[in-house]
Amino acid sequence: MRGMVKWVAMVVLALVAILGVQSTYYTVEPEEEAVILRLGKWLKTSGPGLHFRLPLGIDQVIKIPVRRVLEEEFGFRGDAVASRSRGRTERSYDAEARMLTGDLNVADVEWVVQFQISDPMKYLFNGRNPQLGSGLPVANVRDISLTVMRRVVGDRLVTEVLTVGRTEIAAEAKRLTQKVLDRYDMGIRIVAVKLQDVNPPDPVKPSFNDVNTAKQEQEQVINQAEREYNKVIPEARGKAQELISNAEGYAAAAVNRAQGDADKFTLKLMAYREAPDVTRQRLYLEAMEDLYSRIEAVTIVDSELEGLLPIFDAGSALGGAPR
Amino acid sequence: MKAGLASLLLILAGGILVLGSAAYIVPEGRQAILTQFGRPVGDAVTAAGLHFKTPFIQEVREIDSRILSWDGDPNQIPTRDKKYIEVDTTARWRITDPLQFIRTVQNERGAQSKLDAVLESATRDVVSGHNLVEAVRNTNDIFGVIETRRLEVEAAEADVEEEVTGEIERVEVGRERLSELIAERAQPELEEFGITLVDVQLRRISYEGSVERKVFERMISERERIAEKIRSVGKGEQAKIHGTLSRDKQTIESEAYRAVQTIEGEADAKAFRIYADALGQDPDFYDFVRTLEAYGEALGPATRFLLTTDSDFLRLFKAGVRAGE
Repeated sequence: MRGMVKWVAMVVLALVAILGVQSTYYTVEPEEEAVILRLGKWLKTSGPGLHFRLPLGIDQVIKIPVRRVLEEEFGFRGDAVASRSRGRTERSYDAEARMLTGDLNVADVEWVVQFQISDPMKYLFNGRNPQLGSGLPVANVRDISLTVMRRVVGDRLVTEVLTVGRTEIAAEAKRLTQKVLDRYDMGIRIVAVKLQDVNPPDPVKPSFNDVNTAKQEQEQVINQAEREYNKVIPEARGKAQELISNAEGYAAAAVNRAQGDADKFTLKLMAYREAPDVTRQRLYLEAMEDLYSRIEAVTIVDSELEGLLPIFDAGSALGGAPR
Repeated sequence: MKAGLASLLLILAGGILVLGSAAYIVPEGRQAILTQFGRPVGDAVTAAGLHFKTPFIQEVREIDSRILSWDGDPNQIPTRDKKYIEVDTTARWRITDPLQFIRTVQNERGAQSKLDAVLESATRDVVSGHNLVEAVRNTNDIFGVIETRRLEVEAAEADVEEEVTGEIERVEVGRERLSELIAERAQPELEEFGITLVDVQLRRISYEGSVERKVFERMISERERIAEKIRSVGKGEQAKIHGTLSRDKQTIESEAYRAVQTIEGEADAKAFRIYADALGQDPDFYDFVRTLEAYGEALGPATRFLLTTDSDFLRLFKAGVRAGE
């Protein structure tokens, strides 16, 4: 009986010892830092590796993955979550994304905020933040990002938000979100704010697309007109050049011909002047000879013959060609 | 001996019991108030760690000392310019006077309902006292943007960039200041609950359903107007190019014509002078030679000649040998 009690006591003691030893060390993973509280009070923050602690709940260890980049999504949810809760919550995402622009238009903006825990102590004890890995949203980050994004978009034109302003908006949102979080001193560091889809609301989308179509049409119309211009004008220039070249050819020809004729005349005149009478006579006779030899009908009439005309039919005599 | 051991054990057990009741732990991020028969005593204990109290009589009430969130429900509020919007606010707050807090609202749930009442009415008051733009925009920077845009469009002349649309008013207060105003209005009322606001944020502002539909209609009509304008500018550009085309074509053609005429005219004139200079040496001879040439060229084989023997050519025909005399 006594031996039995002793044996039981031994087993109990051994169990307590094992449990005690087990709760005297802990490991911190490379991506983590651990906050150690002794009787509720902060003792130290330790980095990755094997560490010892006091057992029996005296030292409490809270591990925070400080090197992990955490993400909050706005206006949409990543595939894993979305497929689980599609439909039911889609409308609330819409509400998250929908915001007023500076010109009181509406745009749907989707974005992602990436952040890290820069100071585990502050994250845990300066603000009420969810335990990491619990899947709960970090409300402080969400609320501030929702506010800041609206403020940034609220100071811009809808066209700016939808087109050229993206990088600027993201940078500004990051800066301001960090500024507000710094005021809370919660040990949260914003890594990046990334704009995802930025769209006009669905009912307005077709008209926004129509503006883009109009731009393309405009370009097309202008291009077409320019094409016509390019088709016609160079050709006209070429043709003009052709005409001018032709004229220049004509000019050269006219002058040369004139000069040639003139030279010929002058030369002939020189020779003529050496013996004008006989040359004149020769030229006349040669010309006549040439002329009459080609003529089909030559009628010779004696100059002393009277009343000749009535013999001929006036028409055929004066009209030229015989009938 | 046996009694001695028993009494020792009893004292030890009693000691542990007393110690267990006297010691308490305040963790980081919390603060504690001691209550004696339900009535708070002393100042709040804010330092984390092990503390002691009077055993059995005093109890520990633990409350948060961290920054806490308040999450409001979206509220429909008309702005001063009669636009119905939904405003969703959120706030950060902390318990700065635990004693007061315990006395007035007891716990966080109690505080939430007070915060609901105070912040919602403050939000309503402030938002309805300002125009919509004050809740949307923070600064008047947008006018700078509009001005730069306008200058750009002007500089590029017929640039197709869209014009600025929508109603643009100046803001006097701005979104950030508006949320500060809400906080300033709410703070005095929260004082008595031992609550201090860190800030109030206008998390979401959206048009109420029917207003939103009207805004969409306006956006659509604006886009349509812009699209029409872009198309019209395109047609205008096309017409301009067509005009340039016609002008350039006619200019080129007429310039060519003019050049042709001038070149030819100058050449002809030069030719005239050359002829005149040469032929002017003996007009009579020219007349003679040219006339003969013209006879040869102008009179064809079909010409019918009626010559009398008087003609110079036929002189010898009748005169015979006498001609030589």
